[in-house]
Amino acid sequence: METTRAPVRADLFDPASLASLGHVEIIARWVVDGFLTGLHRSPKKGFSVEFAEYRPYQPGDDLRFIDWKIAARANKWVVKQFEEETNLRATIILDVSRSMAWTGDPTRLTKLAYAEQLVAALSLLLIRQRDAVGFIRYDDRLRTIIPPKARTAQWRRILHALEEEGAGLASIAPAALLHAARLVRRPGLVVLISDLLVETAEVADAVRMLRAVGHDVTVLHIMDPAERDLSLAGEAVFADPESGLEVPATVADVRSAYRATVEEAIAELKQAFSSTGAGYEVFTTDVPFGVPLRKAFAARQRLP
Amino acid sequence: MSFLEPLYLLLAGAAAVPLLLHLLRRRINVRVEFPAVRYILRAERENSRKMKLRNFLLMFLRILAVVLLALAAARPVGRLIGSGHAPTAIAIVLDNSLSTSTIVDGAPLFRRLRAAALATARTATPTDRIWLVTADGRVVGGSSAAVADAIQRLEPIAGSGDLAAAVSRAIGLVRGAGLPAQQVAIATDGQATSWRRTTAAGDVGISVFVPAGTPPANHGVIVADARPTRWTPRGSVVARTIGADSSTYRIAIGGTGTQARTLARGTAVGDGEVVVRAAPAERGWVAGSVELEPDELRGDDVRYFAAWIGVAPAVAVDASLGPFVRTAVDALVQSERLRLGNDAAVVPADALTRLPALIVAPTDPVRIGAANRALERAGVPWRFGAARRDGGTVREPANTSSKLLDGATVSMRYPLTPAGDASADTLARVGADPWVVSGNRYVVVASPLDPAATDLPIRAGFLPWLAEMVSQRLGGDAGIVLNATPGARLRAPAGIQSVDDAAGQAVPVADGELVAPDRAGVYFLRRGGQKAGALVVNGEPDESLLARLSLPTLQSRFTGLGVSITADGDAWARDAYAGSARRPLVTPLLILAALVLVVEALISRGTGERASRASGRAAA
Repeated sequence: METTRAPVRADLFDPASLASLGHVEIIARWVVDGFLTGLHRSPKKGFSVEFAEYRPYQPGDDLRFIDWKIAARANKWVVKQFEEETNLRATIILDVSRSMAWTGDPTRLTKLAYAEQLVAALSLLLIRQRDAVGFIRYDDRLRTIIPPKARTAQWRRILHALEEEGAGLASIAPAALLHAARLVRRPGLVVLISDLLVETAEVADAVRMLRAVGHDVTVLHIMDPAERDLSLAGEAVFADPESGLEVPATVADVRSAYRATVEEAIAELKQAFSSTGAGYEVFTTDVPFGVPLRKAFAARQRLP
Repeated sequence: MSFLEPLYLLLAGAAAVPLLLHLLRRRINVRVEFPAVRYILRAERENSRKMKLRNFLLMFLRILAVVLLALAAARPVGRLIGSGHAPTAIAIVLDNSLSTSTIVDGAPLFRRLRAAALATARTATPTDRIWLVTADGRVVGGSSAAVADAIQRLEPIAGSGDLAAAVSRAIGLVRGAGLPAQQVAIATDGQATSWRRTTAAGDVGISVFVPAGTPPANHGVIVADARPTRWTPRGSVVARTIGADSSTYRIAIGGTGTQARTLARGTAVGDGEVVVRAAPAERGWVAGSVELEPDELRGDDVRYFAAWIGVAPAVAVDASLGPFVRTAVDALVQSERLRLGNDAAVVPADALTRLPALIVAPTDPVRIGAANRALERAGVPWRFGAARRDGGTVREPANTSSKLLDGATVSMRYPLTPAGDASADTLARVGADPWVVSGNRYVVVASPLDPAATDLPIRAGFLPWLAEMVSQRLGGDAGIVLNATPGARLRAPAGIQSVDDAAGQAVPVADGELVAPDRAGVYFLRRGGQKAGALVVNGEPDESLLARLSLPTLQSRFTGLGVSITADGDAWARDAYAGSARRPLVTPLLILAALVLVVEALISRGTGERASRASGRAAA
């Protein structure tokens, strides 16, 4: 019997190591392939079916879709793929402000690089699900606006958009969210990827408004590990690259209080978004892409 | 707590570093880009009081750690609470010299020393080894009960003893015990004359107890001599007293107790000499004493002497001896120290026909042969050697009290050599050779008594020496007076077979050695049952000087790692084992410093770790 070798689970690789292996497009494909391989069941059971094509069986594929006749005749395992008709429209909103282009350790990805990789993977995943995907980049203004479409070329557009400039000195997340609402008339999925170094209340208000018109909102909060636990050393004047705010501090003296404060802020964010019905997850840039991808994909799965 | 390396305490100054770092606002030149500054700012605002308290606590812990490390570097030694004491070899040196019998505050000072020593002995445990060493050299070892019993029975002696020797002995005992903790505990009155030497204690701990207070003013008799020893029957008592003011004295004779008869009374000035001349009716060897009114130190208020009283011996002088001897004998006859007669003779050796005789070497070397033959005929066991003219100085034995010959020069002599059983006293030497020897009824001088051979005839001491030789060695009773301190060991004079004890019972002399009794007094020497001299035991004159050393000065009399001194008897008894209870505190201090640093680390990082764990759970 001919068997197919299981693909590598790139979604569980160390993000920095994986990113060093190739272009974002290739990496995104690896991540998505690996991600799908890891799913033991088809992501959407019983969705509407219209036969599209055959493809070789991969571990994790639902056995129900193996064409047993071909297997008996050609001694080859293939699964039938069906083209799903879906009405889901997803919009991914990416914060590209200057604070995102920071890492506490050169061996790690910046928050922006990590988020861009995540955008590429997530959009590919959604497009493969035949969902329409839109994309918005913002910093102190809206840098990129790509309306949702389900075409394969849409992913290319998104990848090209990732290469556009950014690094503004502010984040207008509420404006970006509201613009996403205007892009999609029908209720859909909105995924906000940001370090959330903004006023929480304004973002929460914008999310509440999106929720009010029926959008499902998921916020992926990206943090550098050094921002999470202040794993720096010595004493210094710490400067905010966006606002220019400077605070002198001795790391050893403030570390414990800082960590408590960060946990407190995360709890506040979680509370604020939960109260609007939005999903909220926080990730550090050393977490494999598969983890945030699974969280975002789970949000999509909750939708019809 | 004491320090073996106290200079390292200067390291404690480093404690100022965390203090300065805390108090001074430093200029920070490092600028770090950090997007989440808002969280730092918020953390500082929200935790201002908590962070201040935490920073103060951290500063305190860091200062404490530095101080503890500096203390540890200084190698402290101290007592740990509740640690008891390790098995200890301890020797208690109890000063029982005469001066400790001084009455202070209504009781003898010795009682306080003894009470403190008793408390120390009773503190000993069965794992300890304990000894008592006294000033007079006695050593008692064994259980604490046995030593305590010995302390209880101990009384002051009549002399000074040798405290430095006692301490050295004690150090040797504890060193030989093989126990790791070694201590010598000394209870003394701190009398300056007793602590002249410095004792090296090495690693043996020394603790000294000296009762506080000022010694009382003291009167004492420091000299009491019968001059000459043989009274014929006239003689003198010479006494010397010390004291800040005058005091009444009494000179008694005929015994040392109630049977004594008062010979004279008078008033002695503070530091002065008393000379009393008398011709007592007593005959033979008699004991006498010079007594002062009782004061706080009774032991030196009386001092003893001994004298032989009898008629002056009759002596014949050979005409060939020359003018010096003849003139001297004439002077002695005129002063009733001698009589002319035939009881004894003073003759050149070659003219010797009978004993007793003072035999003088012949002037002419050709007469040496005749002289030796005459000696042989008379039964004198000494012979003259060939004439020597190399010169020399006369030296008398150290125990000779009068020293009448010491320092005389000799230009010609015939070295004396013993012939057969020459049991005799060597009264003087020139170099290693006997110069004057004395035996049964004879005295032999190795040089002619002529200024051409020796300057003795023209020295001041010649007259009394001649009187002493004739009266004591040849006058029918060749007795001798030995002066000694209590407990002293000395060689018995030739022919002495026994010595009276304190009760008057004759005790045989063993191995030719006498041991002076502990009690002051006169003890008669006996030959063939007859009194042949006296052993006069008196304390050292220095014992009357009660001045004490200051505590620092007394402490400087000991060199070693652990020397402590106190005026508190209870503290001394309590701390006698402190040397063993005192332990190096380096390890406890290092452990404490490590604990402080661990606490510091926990405080500075503990909260952060909890936060990290929380964030980890959140990420998962």
